[in-house]
Amino acid sequence: MNLPFLFFVETYYGGKLKMKKSTWIAIIGVAVVLVTSIVLALPKDEKKDILIGMSGGYKPYTFMNDAGELTGFDVDVWKEIGNRLDREVTFETSDFSGLFGKLDAGQLTSIANQITVTSEREEKYIFSVPYVYYGAQLVVKSDNTEITSLETLKGKRVGVSLGSNYEAMIKGFDKDNEIEVITYESYQGSLQDVSIGRIDAVLNDRLAGLTAIEESGLDIKFGGEPVEALYNAFPFAKTEENNELLIEVNKALEEMHKDGILETISLKWFPVNITSK
Amino acid sequence: MVNFELDAFIKALPVIGRALPITVSVAMVSMILGVVIGTLITLMRRSNIKWIKSILELYVSFFRGTPLMVQMFIFFFGLPQLIPVLAKVNAYYASIIVMSINASAYASEVIRSSLNAVDKGQYEAALSVGMSKYQVMVRIILPQGFRIAIPPLGNTFISLIQGTAITFMLGLQDIMGVSKMSAAASYRFFETYLAVGLIYWMLTSLASWLNSYLEKQLSYGLEA
Repeated sequence: MNLPFLFFVETYYGGKLKMKKSTWIAIIGVAVVLVTSIVLALPKDEKKDILIGMSGGYKPYTFMNDAGELTGFDVDVWKEIGNRLDREVTFETSDFSGLFGKLDAGQLTSIANQITVTSEREEKYIFSVPYVYYGAQLVVKSDNTEITSLETLKGKRVGVSLGSNYEAMIKGFDKDNEIEVITYESYQGSLQDVSIGRIDAVLNDRLAGLTAIEESGLDIKFGGEPVEALYNAFPFAKTEENNELLIEVNKALEEMHKDGILETISLKWFPVNITSK
Repeated sequence: MVNFELDAFIKALPVIGRALPITVSVAMVSMILGVVIGTLITLMRRSNIKWIKSILELYVSFFRGTPLMVQMFIFFFGLPQLIPVLAKVNAYYASIIVMSINASAYASEVIRSSLNAVDKGQYEAALSVGMSKYQVMVRIILPQGFRIAIPPLGNTFISLIQGTAITFMLGLQDIMGVSKMSAAASYRFFETYLAVGLIYWMLTSLASWLNSYLEKQLSYGLEA
């Protein structure tokens, strides 16, 4: 009984270690809550083969359905890749800001979150063959007729998602710094802000915009035509092991392009095929 | 067109509730480890060895002086690039480790000031009746110091509970992480965040209640 705390109890309860019944109940209660939550929370030790990271908050690419299961376009694509490689694919969700950190730390095999291939990213990661071709799109409030292109953004406030390539796109166009760029942690947050007029436009993926306009009920619409052609792929850390895996993944993806399964998955989530140019 | 859907709010509660064990266990384990480590640090800081003192002061200063988010990034994403073994630590343990370290820095400061608040005369009196320095600390100073430390430690615990909200960054499916995903899927931001806010409030209220209960128990016999 050398714990300082117990000595303390001893001091104030007169010589012997005596505690009120209610104190015992409280201590036992706290212990029970603690032990139960640890047991429930402890990570299950599963054998993990391919670990794919995603935000779980980018509808309809990766999101939780009503049953609380992770689903979406990117999930389906990787399930199919896993089938073809005959390897088990496990999905892990994490805040977008942490995804690349986890990839760098070797905790993820790759990221499936509509990652656009850029030259900066290619310096650090090796990319699979593209699985999505798309265009960037401006989204504005329904009553806005002014904003139709990057040119018309001058003097306006435009929202982009953290870690996305849209900020670089605007900066590349806007050499004189006439456009105010506001970075958001989540795409939905930026749409919310454009609908209440806090910002003038959002630059993001055209298809995610289409889904959001249809489903969110927010007061928004497309502003003009798509801005620039881009393509998305899966980034891998540059290691020997990944080089070998990537050959297999690329082979699977190319087959999936050819036999039309990618188109099928695409049409399941979108009204159009996003997996071809 | 702000509309509040009570239905979405009610639906969000059980979804978020399933993640409660994660949030509760991370906060509680971190708090317990934090107080234990913090107490040891405080006692070591009272030693006369200069370099131990300066190292520990640096430790407390750094972990109290930088955001928890930065510490998580450094520990979880930065260090594994230097020490590859650390990449095997999963998000659950990493969160507990970082939050325990963070809490220990705060707890150390709280306990230090609480021990200082115990009247010096008690120390001298205890020595004069023949107790060793160790006995004085364990039997006289620490018990009284802990009673004084309880209310501010409760504050630390409440901050810690709220601090768990950023662990989704590491991929931990805590109540905030689940809320973020659920809100993004349903587009019901207001309802979902209100639900998770109320759950945090409930947790911190429970913590406060526990705190005042402890405070009352430990003040037994001291009321004027």
